[in-house]
Amino acid sequence: MKRIIIVLLLFWVNVGQAQEKEHIALFTDRDIYTSGETILFNVIVPSGEGSAMININLINTRGKIVCSVNKKISNDQANGFIYLPDSMKTGTYLLCSSTRDNPALTVKELFICNRFAGLIETTTVLRAKDITPFVEKPVIEPKIEGISKSYKVREKVKTTLRLPANFLTNIKDHLFVAVVESTPGYNSQTFYMTNVRKNQDIFEKEGIVVEGFVKDSSTDTPFNKGCIFLSVPDSIPWLDYLITGEDGYFHFQLKDYYGEVPVVVQGFDPAKKKLLKISLNQTDSIKEGVPAYESQAIPMDIQKSIGNSIEATTMRKIFNCQEISIINPQLKKRHEYPFYGVPTETVHPALFIDLPDFNEISRELLPGVKFRAFNRIPTLNILNPTTLNYFNDAPLVLLNGIPVQDLNVIKNMGSKDIDRIEICRRERFYGDLDFQGVVAIYSSKQANMFLPESDELIKLNLDAIQPDCSLNIPREHIQNEPDLRKVLLWQPEVKPAESIKLDFETSDIKGHYKITVRGINLDGEVIYTEQTFEVN
Amino acid sequence: MTSKLLLYTSIAGLFLSLNVAAQQTSMNSQTSGKIRGARFIPFPNYSGKPYLYDKFLVGEIELTEGTKISNLGLSYSTYRDELIYYNPAISAQIVIDKISLNGFTIHELNGKSRHFRRQYCAEYTHDQSYFEVLSDGALALLAYRKVNLEPCSTYYSKSGLAYAPAFSYFLYSREKGYIPVNQTRNSLLSKFTKSDQKKVKKLLRKNGIVIADEPGFIKAWNLIEEYQIQPIF
Repeated sequence: MKRIIIVLLLFWVNVGQAQEKEHIALFTDRDIYTSGETILFNVIVPSGEGSAMININLINTRGKIVCSVNKKISNDQANGFIYLPDSMKTGTYLLCSSTRDNPALTVKELFICNRFAGLIETTTVLRAKDITPFVEKPVIEPKIEGISKSYKVREKVKTTLRLPANFLTNIKDHLFVAVVESTPGYNSQTFYMTNVRKNQDIFEKEGIVVEGFVKDSSTDTPFNKGCIFLSVPDSIPWLDYLITGEDGYFHFQLKDYYGEVPVVVQGFDPAKKKLLKISLNQTDSIKEGVPAYESQAIPMDIQKSIGNSIEATTMRKIFNCQEISIINPQLKKRHEYPFYGVPTETVHPALFIDLPDFNEISRELLPGVKFRAFNRIPTLNILNPTTLNYFNDAPLVLLNGIPVQDLNVIKNMGSKDIDRIEICRRERFYGDLDFQGVVAIYSSKQANMFLPESDELIKLNLDAIQPDCSLNIPREHIQNEPDLRKVLLWQPEVKPAESIKLDFETSDIKGHYKITVRGINLDGEVIYTEQTFEVN
Repeated sequence: MTSKLLLYTSIAGLFLSLNVAAQQTSMNSQTSGKIRGARFIPFPNYSGKPYLYDKFLVGEIELTEGTKISNLGLSYSTYRDELIYYNPAISAQIVIDKISLNGFTIHELNGKSRHFRRQYCAEYTHDQSYFEVLSDGALALLAYRKVNLEPCSTYYSKSGLAYAPAFSYFLYSREKGYIPVNQTRNSLLSKFTKSDQKKVKKLLRKNGIVIADEPGFIKAWNLIEEYQIQPIF
């Protein structure tokens, strides 16, 4: 009996370790936004987080993703931005942060107002109810010195943040400091929800994950030993592949890709040489529904404040004042040469007389390449330079770096459609794949024109890692140009010290502002202190 | 008490091993750092050795992106300066693209390892070549293990051609480049100033080093490196 109890205890400890994970802390610059503005966010993840990436989704009250951002976690923090398109409807939205490792989603409510529709659409706000709130611990030790109750517009403010020695020893990593416009009477809630975890064994350690399942097109059952290609068309195209197991599951990690990356995923049966059906896993975090809501009327003073905010955003747009600047990451050269090898021949059809189709191009311009379209079934073969016989199998045919299985796609491509053709006449190997020669066609036209999307060929414009940004603060004011900043200071990674200087300048926007200092203590609690002031 | 302890330890071990197994299953589905190359075309059969070793030996390669892949069956073709690996999954001998590699290491059966790295040498090999690193430091001692197909007596080879070694040795500094050096005492001494030559001679004499073969040559160079006597570039 005792043994059974001990075994159960051990099991409970093992399971408990997996479940009791600290939560992600999520902060934004403000609680109320208008379309056309940018949300600045700061995320603090628990130390020991298995994933190196954090996913931030902005969803509407029905759970549909409006914007999605992936950020790299560095020093247990991630700072990013979300641009709010003008197509957004006025209403409540939820900003959800999640990692593949953490079982909980941290969600923050935001109210976003369309700057064209204003508050005509609604004068009520939906607030989430029956939630598990995110708790921050207020602290009194950090002192913000030199701050007045009110300032004039465009006044230079010099303050000092003093941190006592006992506070410094209790703080972990960096502090977060922000000076932003606040809306008294409206505090958005931050709460937790259950994360529908996708595949707990696969963490985004190197880059974002593209995952899904491959199925047999005829039987719709998971396909064993299917070859999945992931192509990234680029100046030097890249291809990754893997062989699926019995469950038909596959996943790729896109390492060090920033911004929007065009990706094509295809499944292929190596034995029967036919395409397979691909279904990609969606990235929507809240699958198990959204929280329940209750409606609240928006008080008149907040309605007025939103009206002013809309005007300010519109003026910013007129004067083309960018809120943030993107810091382009230092990119190293990814690949020296294409995955299919250094070409043995490169042909530029534009240098020759115009040829109407690929059959003519292969006959006239491509040495050792035989393209025939007898009985409407095109075939392509490459002459083996060693044996001087044609290879038995068809070569790997690529269109802008994307593998093409159906040669009818290239059949009608003439000189005007093709920039260059690269040929590898030797038998090439890429991992465990064997290509009996390679014909890589590069077209100035988008490959999308020739390769239609289907269940067997999925094209994605993948939101890879978001680059970092910095807040735009005008160094000198141009005459007659308004300064309509709502975020006066945004320093997400301030190194703790006894005395920290916080200098900023107020903008032309009158109203209430708050200085917030946040951090994580050694117990893993989020601690903060706030001080408000007014600009008249 | 001991049996109980054993029972609990084994249960804890079982939980641990389950966790590890779960992680490994997920990792198997993707291989990182795919090797790129072309099918190996065998050389004509002449006398002499066109390979560093007669058979494939276990080794590891380092790709340009920094990924290291170990436990590969490798063979270095000294004749073509190519690295061949055997892929058992597809039963193919593949010449690995030289530009995809930083270098490779071959482990001999006696436990010794030989490390080669890809370097560009404009003056002597006029190309990217694999150099064996005999001694690595601020100044490295490198060997270019070239084998040439040369005419020979038909008594030696019926076809009148044989693979003949034409190894070259270099002192290499990242900043200053290559100095060719022969595997002789005089050639090594000629790379130093008059005053340094005396020091080198004394050093070799005191340590009883005779440069008669490659190990002696390497030993001599390591000693010179240790005493930081700089050659003339």
